[in-house]
Amino acid sequence: MGVISQIQDQIIYYQTWCKNYQNILKMPLRHGPYQTLQNLNNYPWLWNLAKVNRLLSMVTKGREGNYRKANAAVVGKIVPNLMNLLNNLVEDTDRLVLHEDMVPPEILFAMGLKTWMSELLGILMPIVDSHSVEKYIDIAENAGIPPDVCSLPKSTMGVILNKEVPPVKAIVTSNSPCDGGMASYQLIKNKLDIPIFQLDVPYNFYNERATDYFANELKRMVKWLEEYTPGKMDWDHLREICEERNKMAAHELELWEAIRQRPAPLAAEAIYLSHLWCFNITPGDPSGTELFKYLSDLANENIKNNISAVPNEKYRTVLWNPPLLHFIDLFSQAEKQYGLTLIIDSMSYNRQPFIDTSTKESILKGLAHIIMTGPMARHTRGPAQNYFDDMFYLYTYFDLDMIFVAGHIGCKNTAALNGILREKCRNKGIPLLIIDYDLSDPRVVSHDGIMQQLDRFMENIMNK
Amino acid sequence: MQNKLFAGCDVGSTTGKAVIINGNGIQGKAVCQSEIDPEETANIVLKKACESIGSGISPQDITYLIGTGYGRREVPFANENISEITCHAMGAFSCLKDTRTIIDIGGQDVKAISVGDNGSVIDFAMNDKCAAGTGRFFEMMANIFRMDISTFSNLSLQAKKIIPVTSQCSVFAETEVITLLAKRKNPADIAAGIQSSVAKRCFALLKKIGIQPLVTITGGCSNNKGLIKALESKLRLPIQILPVDPQLMGAYGAAVFAMKKHLGL
Repeated sequence: MGVISQIQDQIIYYQTWCKNYQNILKMPLRHGPYQTLQNLNNYPWLWNLAKVNRLLSMVTKGREGNYRKANAAVVGKIVPNLMNLLNNLVEDTDRLVLHEDMVPPEILFAMGLKTWMSELLGILMPIVDSHSVEKYIDIAENAGIPPDVCSLPKSTMGVILNKEVPPVKAIVTSNSPCDGGMASYQLIKNKLDIPIFQLDVPYNFYNERATDYFANELKRMVKWLEEYTPGKMDWDHLREICEERNKMAAHELELWEAIRQRPAPLAAEAIYLSHLWCFNITPGDPSGTELFKYLSDLANENIKNNISAVPNEKYRTVLWNPPLLHFIDLFSQAEKQYGLTLIIDSMSYNRQPFIDTSTKESILKGLAHIIMTGPMARHTRGPAQNYFDDMFYLYTYFDLDMIFVAGHIGCKNTAALNGILREKCRNKGIPLLIIDYDLSDPRVVSHDGIMQQLDRFMENIMNK
Repeated sequence: MQNKLFAGCDVGSTTGKAVIINGNGIQGKAVCQSEIDPEETANIVLKKACESIGSGISPQDITYLIGTGYGRREVPFANENISEITCHAMGAFSCLKDTRTIIDIGGQDVKAISVGDNGSVIDFAMNDKCAAGTGRFFEMMANIFRMDISTFSNLSLQAKKIIPVTSQCSVFAETEVITLLAKRKNPADIAAGIQSSVAKRCFALLKKIGIQPLVTITGGCSNNKGLIKALESKLRLPIQILPVDPQLMGAYGAAVFAMKKHLGL
């Protein structure tokens, strides 16, 4: 790597770093010192989120050229969006709705509502600081939540129990993706004592009747929100949001086409963190479309110049289940140590049906289809075959060498599936690593323990 | 080549093992108790293995040496180190080419290894979090019975029935066994219960990787006849006893690798 490239890489890092801090500082400047202090007092997790620029170091460390640019751009998208979300703590709070991650936020945006995804803190905080949700997990367990419940709903419940939740006025949730998640909303409802609406996602979703049923559920949700919040559905706005989402999805498909190349032009966070944020938190945001176009352009430029994201890419893998929240640098270490490239994860892999925006009905059906057949929904409910079919499809489609499963100890839905998966992989001759760990709690299996599992796998199975 | 010596040194948690081979097979071998310092263990066991050959051979005369086991990075004179899982697979495969499944019961962990048709590791599963079912567990049990480990290993062979020992944890199992002995239950029947509970754990581990015949056992607990009988009953498959001391299998596999590496195979 030449000196000029190194300087360019440093410039990318510091440019993004400065922009991010500008965005982070906007919040106290806008709210003033009194409100800021009050916010920090009411929501102590803000201290953790203020460290969000750490994410930039994590995802750019050891990455060069377009790969570094791509990862920096992803963090550059997350930070201002996050700061906008944090404005919801004090602005238009009568419109603030707490929603579960399986509820399509597009509808809430179109109704002019402000959103707070209840799982957001449980997802983002351990990414920024590995140990940051341990406190909330302990609070939930001390309140009687069984220790074997998934640590993500446990951390969400901990935030609620500790009275650190933003001033939300209504709750919309669903019966997905797991029992732990579902059960947490009963506690949230009891604790906050505000109206709640629960979407009923059908179990068998591969037919028109199921889509119609769930689209009707979404209609019911809109009616309920109009009754219990100041939000009013603007169907034209919903159409615009869905059209923007479609554009973003089209660029993501281009990006996926690019990463099929061996070696991959981009990898890891550029693929999965971008999806996690843009499709779940801010769908319909034009800056998300721009980001995916940029990522796709960077990937294609790398292909054109015969540059791989990971120098000397040796192995390609998929990560099944959500990414290791408290140890997202696992793959930057794996890249360096083994030339192992994370091509995609299961949370990013949605079949990406485009939403037909011609009528209100078709829009709702499109959104219904996305939710019903989305990752987690499709993998932790319904036939076990969904889990395996997707995984083996990705294995072939992206020309992978192995499958990694993030064997989150709290995910009972996938614990049984993994036993069958072992047998299937053995029969197909696919190397499989099931990483024993907890999604959000590094006290269960430490980073060293996770690395040890990776090392043993690479040494014994891949003979590295 | 026939005169060149190749060695494997397996520094385990409880014992150190060394095997020295040449083109004609095993020339020297040794086992010793592990010291606190893995390097010291390696030095002692290598010296002993050299002495077992005689003719003034010293560790410096070994052409290629591979370290394995938990202390593999501390083996002096080692040209490289390889994981014990890979070495056990190669060792067992080199002894019996039809080996496809290995249960390795060491002093402080248990591993199930699926072996390919070239001696490579296809899959593995291990329990290194819990002492139940390891060599240390058997030592604890033998201690309760006031027996040495080899006498305890054969005790269950005299059992008329199996008294189940249901505790999953070695500490609770100890309490359970003491209670059973206090109730004057037949010690052989209790010992059969202990062997059966360990066999169940091994079976669960083996199921993870898929059980394919030929199944064999390696590690320090491979001399435990009671355990082998209980395992065979659980697996409904015979466990093939290896022609080389199974406790040495990691070191032997490492020595085979050493020879192969030197020859560029």
